[in-house]
Amino acid sequence: MIADTSTNFPILSLLLWLPLLGSLLCLVWRKSPNACRWLALGTTSLLLVVSIGLAMSVDPVGGWLKYEDYRWIETFGIRYTLGLDGISLLLILLTAFLQVIAVLISWDMRYHPALFFALVLVLETGIIGVFLALDMVLFYLFWELMLIPMFFLIGVWGHERRVYAAVKFFLFTLAGSLLLLLALISLYLLHGEQTGVYSFALDALKQTELSSTQEMLFFLCFMAAFAVKVPLFPFHTWLPDAHTEAPAAGSVDLAGLLLKTGVYGMIRFAFPLFPLATQKALPVLAVLALIGLFYAAWVAYLQLDVKRIVAYSSISHLGFVILGLAAWNQTAWEGSILLMINHGVTTGALFVMIAMIRQRTGTREIEKLGGLWRTQPNLSAFFLLFCFASLGLPGLANFAGEILILIGTFAEHPVWASLAVGGVLFSAAYMLRLVQEVIWGPSCHPHDRHDLCAREWLIVVPLALLVVLLGCYPQPILEPLREPVQMLLGGLP
Amino acid sequence: MSLAELLSLLPQLILALGGTAILMCGAWLPNRRLWLLTGMGVALTAALTAGLMEPPLAEVAGMYGTSLYARFCTIFWALIIALTLMISCRYAELHKFGGGEYASLLLFAGTGMSLLSAATSLVGLFLGLEAFTLVLYILIAFNRTDNRGAEAGLKYLVLGAVATGFLAFGIALIYTASGSFHLQEALAGLQVEGSLRPLGLAGWALLLVAVGFKISLVPFHLWTPDVYQGAPAPISAVLATAAKGAVVTAFLPLLAGLGSAGAEVKSIIWLLAIITMLVGTFAALPQTNLKRMLAYSSVAHMGYMMIALLVGGEIGGQALLFYLIVYSFATFGAFGVVTSWALENEEIQDYADIRGLGYLHPRRSSALAAFLFSLAGIPPLAGFFGKFGIFHAALRSDYAELAIIGIFTSLVSLYYYMRPIIVLFMQDRAAYQLREGCREEFVLLASCFAAILLLGVYPGPLLELIILVLP
Repeated sequence: MIADTSTNFPILSLLLWLPLLGSLLCLVWRKSPNACRWLALGTTSLLLVVSIGLAMSVDPVGGWLKYEDYRWIETFGIRYTLGLDGISLLLILLTAFLQVIAVLISWDMRYHPALFFALVLVLETGIIGVFLALDMVLFYLFWELMLIPMFFLIGVWGHERRVYAAVKFFLFTLAGSLLLLLALISLYLLHGEQTGVYSFALDALKQTELSSTQEMLFFLCFMAAFAVKVPLFPFHTWLPDAHTEAPAAGSVDLAGLLLKTGVYGMIRFAFPLFPLATQKALPVLAVLALIGLFYAAWVAYLQLDVKRIVAYSSISHLGFVILGLAAWNQTAWEGSILLMINHGVTTGALFVMIAMIRQRTGTREIEKLGGLWRTQPNLSAFFLLFCFASLGLPGLANFAGEILILIGTFAEHPVWASLAVGGVLFSAAYMLRLVQEVIWGPSCHPHDRHDLCAREWLIVVPLALLVVLLGCYPQPILEPLREPVQMLLGGLP
Repeated sequence: MSLAELLSLLPQLILALGGTAILMCGAWLPNRRLWLLTGMGVALTAALTAGLMEPPLAEVAGMYGTSLYARFCTIFWALIIALTLMISCRYAELHKFGGGEYASLLLFAGTGMSLLSAATSLVGLFLGLEAFTLVLYILIAFNRTDNRGAEAGLKYLVLGAVATGFLAFGIALIYTASGSFHLQEALAGLQVEGSLRPLGLAGWALLLVAVGFKISLVPFHLWTPDVYQGAPAPISAVLATAAKGAVVTAFLPLLAGLGSAGAEVKSIIWLLAIITMLVGTFAALPQTNLKRMLAYSSVAHMGYMMIALLVGGEIGGQALLFYLIVYSFATFGAFGVVTSWALENEEIQDYADIRGLGYLHPRRSSALAAFLFSLAGIPPLAGFFGKFGIFHAALRSDYAELAIIGIFTSLVSLYYYMRPIIVLFMQDRAAYQLREGCREEFVLLASCFAAILLLGVYPGPLLELIILVLP
């Protein structure tokens, strides 16, 4: 399983710790907002370049593309183990890309910019760590490391009800995480008693023999942590508040990246560790996913706040992703992971657009918006593009993922797939309402004619290109997924 | 006493004689800063001596041991005393404390603590405990113009005296039952066919009450918030860390000595641990005063430590000591920030007074946030591995219910640790600045912060060291 690294250079550690270094430098130069800004942009861009370089240089074959393993805390058998496969590579690329966008969209941050950019960079370390860690305690550490920066990002730079949203976010996610920790230690002890080797390594823990009750119990504890993060219905109530109250960069990171860590946790840890319990739970997972898909779409349709519409649309899309996982075949899984990437880009883009609209109009209420096309045609055009991508128009990003999920699911469970098609219809309904209310109709701010400025062009053009590219030609994304997905599905019915 | 015996107790002697010398000289040369720094030097010398000098005897007068465990504890308490003297530099200046008395009293307290951790006989235990409790009565009420301080001192005195009574009577009963003051013999003498003699059990019950008072286990915790609030902040720091830690470290070998006969005692501690965690946590929730919140949080943390104490053995002992050290650094740091924010006539304690302070005093506020997050057990700070060790120990020894309750209270505790952080960073301030921090305070806070960060990222060496020193 373990392919050796082609070079001895610890490239994964570089990816992991580079943002943290940038964040420390930000704090050192906290007196100059300009320096912090450029430092944050420099760090995130450098990371993007490094990760693209990494993606170009590795040959997407089976096993780990890169692997690092060092001693760390021997008393508890904890090691510093990082591994990169196709799935984590894609998610890291997404992370690196969205973080550049997040820094650019917050360029004019006036309220304590140094701290802001430092936190955004720490968050990046946490997210990348989650996607790389293969030792369960190391994973848990990064999993929790994401909480503190996000808590501050929402709580300090958020909108009106920011403190409430920040506390809710923190408590919800920590409640799930602590159950994960409990199960983790129990599993470690069981494994140690059985084999005499106390280790937190994922591969070792997979070998643990569990009774079906134990397995189910552990699985539920693991899923509690991941389902809250995804968020799976009915654990989603923190998300609309957090998304709505967070600053633009925070929303982009939350929707684009943090939700994906939940799904990643499931496919990397919960499913492989407890295969039998997973098989039993799949129908439940599918039902919850379908409920979430419809319920969130319905609620999104009724929202009056633009940001809340997009927030609920995230829940709906993630329901789609989980449905694909529950179908448990190659096509559906590839579709799910592809949709994760697509959703990251499109929803990130939508939050960026909403931030720009709010900057111009000073409001996010759908009733106070309208007629944007007349005053800001460029901005509106991009907004339209991203909305269409989000509702799954063929040729744009989300479509490819959704269709793969539907095909894959139909092969196994035609009823689920047929129901899910209805969900696509629902998403068309709320997205079209959003477009109609914001772009068309009588103009509410007829004299405000600031269209996109240079920096904003720089943000939206790459996003738009990516949306089209992912929609028309997803092959380069699917290629590296094939073998890891086979491996994760392998050995199971 | 022979020279070898004196040499074996050299660290404690340095503390006590240094304290006496400072007291004498301080009367002639009233220079606050000089004596505080000298006191610090004395404490550090004692720590160094304990660390470097191999004691010639294993036990002195059948009362105090010189095991690695005792030396390790001595080092730690001496360090805490040194840290307290360091953080008090400006605080003592502001409140016009007599430098000589203050430094020497703290050194005496350190002597008592280190004797307590080193005790190998019941008498030694009693003497050590009383030695530092007596000193603390004075230190708590050291600020003579402050009514709250006087109230706190009196409260601690009355309840402490009751606890002393319990302790003395408990020791008497244990002596009656076993016929020996020496810990090992006494504990062995209590047991008949693997269970405790009834008289011994009664003695242990009284002993537990006394210990419960000292480390504020529920239901003996009621003095804690008032005393912590009223005492000068540096003294609250000592009370919450070293004063409790010394009792806990003395209790660990005591309980271990009972072996399997301690089942009844352990079932009492089991109950105490549960109610301490729950009551401490939920009582901390509504607090709006930093020091009172920290007081209740220290109650809850004692509950966690009781879990490790119950588990015992290598795993439990390791978890306990590691947790104690991590908890001490974080709590000390938090009280250190309160000390640093103090004004001439009062301390800034209420949440309403620290609103929005995070951007006016970013370094100290961030440090406080880090200490609180560490206490809450959020990685990458050391509190996480502390809790990890305790829950690991509990699950490994079939105390799953304690681990589950502990996890639940950790989750709840996050809320009260977050409140000051929210107030500091997420609320606006009617701008007025507090005093700029002085150099000593920054050095201290930075070292506490470095400790919890380092132990949080790389706890391996300390864990191994603890295994080495465990009795």
